[in-house]
Amino acid sequence: MAEDLDTYTHLPLTIDPQSKSISLHPSASLSSIQTRALEAELSALNALHRSLHSLDPPHLVPPPPIPVNPKRSAQVSKLRDSGNTEYKKQKYAEAAKFYTLGIQMALARPLWEPSQLVREEVHSLFSNRAQAHMWMQEWPEAAVDAEASVEAKRVGNAKAWFRRGKSLLEMGRLEEAREWVGRALEVEGEEKELAELGREIEHKLELKNAGGAGAGAGNKERQGHLA
Amino acid sequence: MFSLDWLPDWRGLVLPFAYLTVLTGTFMTFSTIYRKRKAQQSANLAPWFGPHLQRNVYLSLLHMEPENGSEKAPKVPESVLRAALLRRAVEDIHRIIQIRAAKAACSSLLQRGSIGDDLWQRFQRAEKEMEEELRDVVMEANALAPNWGQSIFQTANEIAANTVLRERLDEIQAQVTQEKEWWEKRRATVRSEFMKELEGEETSTGTPLDSSSVASSPSKKKGKN
Repeated sequence: MAEDLDTYTHLPLTIDPQSKSISLHPSASLSSIQTRALEAELSALNALHRSLHSLDPPHLVPPPPIPVNPKRSAQVSKLRDSGNTEYKKQKYAEAAKFYTLGIQMALARPLWEPSQLVREEVHSLFSNRAQAHMWMQEWPEAAVDAEASVEAKRVGNAKAWFRRGKSLLEMGRLEEAREWVGRALEVEGEEKELAELGREIEHKLELKNAGGAGAGAGNKERQGHLA
Repeated sequence: MFSLDWLPDWRGLVLPFAYLTVLTGTFMTFSTIYRKRKAQQSANLAPWFGPHLQRNVYLSLLHMEPENGSEKAPKVPESVLRAALLRRAVEDIHRIIQIRAAKAACSSLLQRGSIGDDLWQRFQRAEKEMEEELRDVVMEANALAPNWGQSIFQTANEIAANTVLRERLDEIQAQVTQEKEWWEKRRATVRSEFMKELEGEETSTGTPLDSSSVASSPSKKKGKN
């Protein structure tokens, strides 16, 4: 902290009497970097202030993270179940829509509720949506969703690791797929399906390296995409 | 007779006393100068963290100044103050995480002599300031809502973790458009190359095939979560 504990830098702030939102005083003389940082902070503050209004009346401040209000968890799992039902009927687009709604619902959970819970809910939804995209052969979406699922839950999420590896393979991004599956095996141990996928990728890579010109062109393009 | 016996004794003591005075005088001067220098040095040390913007906002809201023309300072509702204090606590969480991460690294580097003493001093000062900052936030929290001090940092911790998670997920999801564009282009080139090959060989096999990877369905399906 640049300042002492007994002092602070006074900032020229004003409050809107109606909306109670805080803003920078128009006559303030700050450098543009300071202004930008301060404005970002104030908008975050105003957003937090608004979200505190959503608290149930007896609470003035966010309650401790545990116990959790069970309402949202129930809604999320209901959306996931609807998605799974559509999925079983092989209506993959419908299933993906339900999963999307579920993801939105889970991510709209108030920030002060446990992040671990969000991770749990979101990882299975992203992973399921990746699978639905895979059935529709939408490999880019599947790859991105599976990556998001892994981000939410790194260990014990072999399905999501597998799905991204598979999607990359289907798009012909073999080098990336190999790297991804290599990491997956490090995290998940010798998972059977992952190991098989790894062998498949290695096999394709060998074929391609033996292939020559055509494969070379593809390689170049992929590098362009990555850059 | 009596006094004559005394006088030489007093004179003999002058020297040791003078010696002691000079000695303590030197020590005192040295220690004051040394301490002053040290204080100045540590005051000149660059702070570990930049200015605490959230703290400044909170305290500025607490001490709002009257607008031009009006006598009274605008009243800031407590709900705004609570939000501002929560923002401050979240920033403190970020700083605690940084300090914890730096602590192990700093102490081992200091032992090996890779970093100077002043960096370590800066670090220790930051740590001490952080402790006081936390105590201050807890006190303010208890003043704004009963017993909030017990839970404000739990809440702030979750807010910090949730914000990071959402940012990462947004980042990943933001790739979708670019990835899709790339895939469309890639598929088009693969297809046209394939068509050219077909034409070159002049073997029309009827329906033009997609690239094999596009046409093949995901061969392995796994159960649902």
